[in-house]
Amino acid sequence: MLQPKRTKFRKAHKGRIHGDAKGGTQLTYGAIGLKAMAPERITARQIEAARRAITRHIKRQGRLHIRIFPDVPVSSKPAEVRMGSGKGSPEYWAARVKPGRIMFELEGVPLDIATVAFERGAAKLPIKTKVVVRLGETVPTAE
Amino acid sequence: MSEALKLTAEARERAGKGASRAVRREGRVPAVIYGNKKDPVNIHVEEKILNKMLSTGHFLNSVVEIDTGNGVERTLPRDVQFHPVTDRPIHVDFLRLAANATVTVAIPVRFTDEEKSPGLKKGGVLAITRHEVEVTCPADAIPDDLVASLAGFDVGESIHISAFNLPANVKPTISDRDFTVATIAVPSALRSEQDEAAAEGDAAEAE
Repeated sequence: MLQPKRTKFRKAHKGRIHGDAKGGTQLTYGAIGLKAMAPERITARQIEAARRAITRHIKRQGRLHIRIFPDVPVSSKPAEVRMGSGKGSPEYWAARVKPGRIMFELEGVPLDIATVAFERGAAKLPIKTKVVVRLGETVPTAE
Repeated sequence: MSEALKLTAEARERAGKGASRAVRREGRVPAVIYGNKKDPVNIHVEEKILNKMLSTGHFLNSVVEIDTGNGVERTLPRDVQFHPVTDRPIHVDFLRLAANATVTVAIPVRFTDEEKSPGLKKGGVLAITRHEVEVTCPADAIPDDLVASLAGFDVGESIHISAFNLPANVKPTISDRDFTVATIAVPSALRSEQDEAAAEGDAAEAE
């Protein structure tokens, strides 16, 4: 699973996700991508689950680009512990995703296969998404 | 080079956020025409027609003749801003062209003869490093796309700009090197097969 190699601080504030994505809203690497339509924290597990679903459907033929990275440590308190006594320990990593962010891109995969792959990947994510295709791209369709 | 696209526009009296949003609510897209040592003109165009032109994929490298009501302006679209979530066009920049203007423009690349590439037959993936190549050319002779044949390219080989048939008056802005436009990459399935074969070979040697 994705996680930073080293961080400046061990714990992060919860924060809120406001507004739309400012960058990473257009396709860069591939001809087709999966765009977030809602703000959410996407955990490293969810990214990994989506990645597996996509790569298994495309039968490892094309190339998948993951354009989000889980760099926010999310902490939680153990079960049956009273409130107080400081912040809990970091449990998992998450990426803060704003609406409009391209999360995954595929290249070298026919459009119809890639669309189904992204639908399967999107089922592993906690937000609404949409599949976006490069303008004027003539992605060959599977016969 | 395809024929010039034709677009009808109306002048915008008011500029700014409120006026632009009002225009967008009516299914139109705010735009501006500037350049050629004349004052910029604020206009708005029909969104449906603009979307149709955008879907061709070579809108930004086509000459657009805009009928503003005060005559026809010969322009080149320089930028289209899209809404980050809905992907609707929200603004277009048009550069006014002089009579014999030379322009720098990004041209999309296209590949043919995929079935003649041994690399792709083996399961290689065409990884496009540059989806567009910036070229300098006369405004009257902007190519729709740059085409290269993939015939004979194997896995691990790169398609450089020299593999493209550029017209005589079209020159890439990067002229100091034969830069890479795409490569035929090894897919993960093929790579794992190779790794397994190598591991088996090592094991046999050890025995």
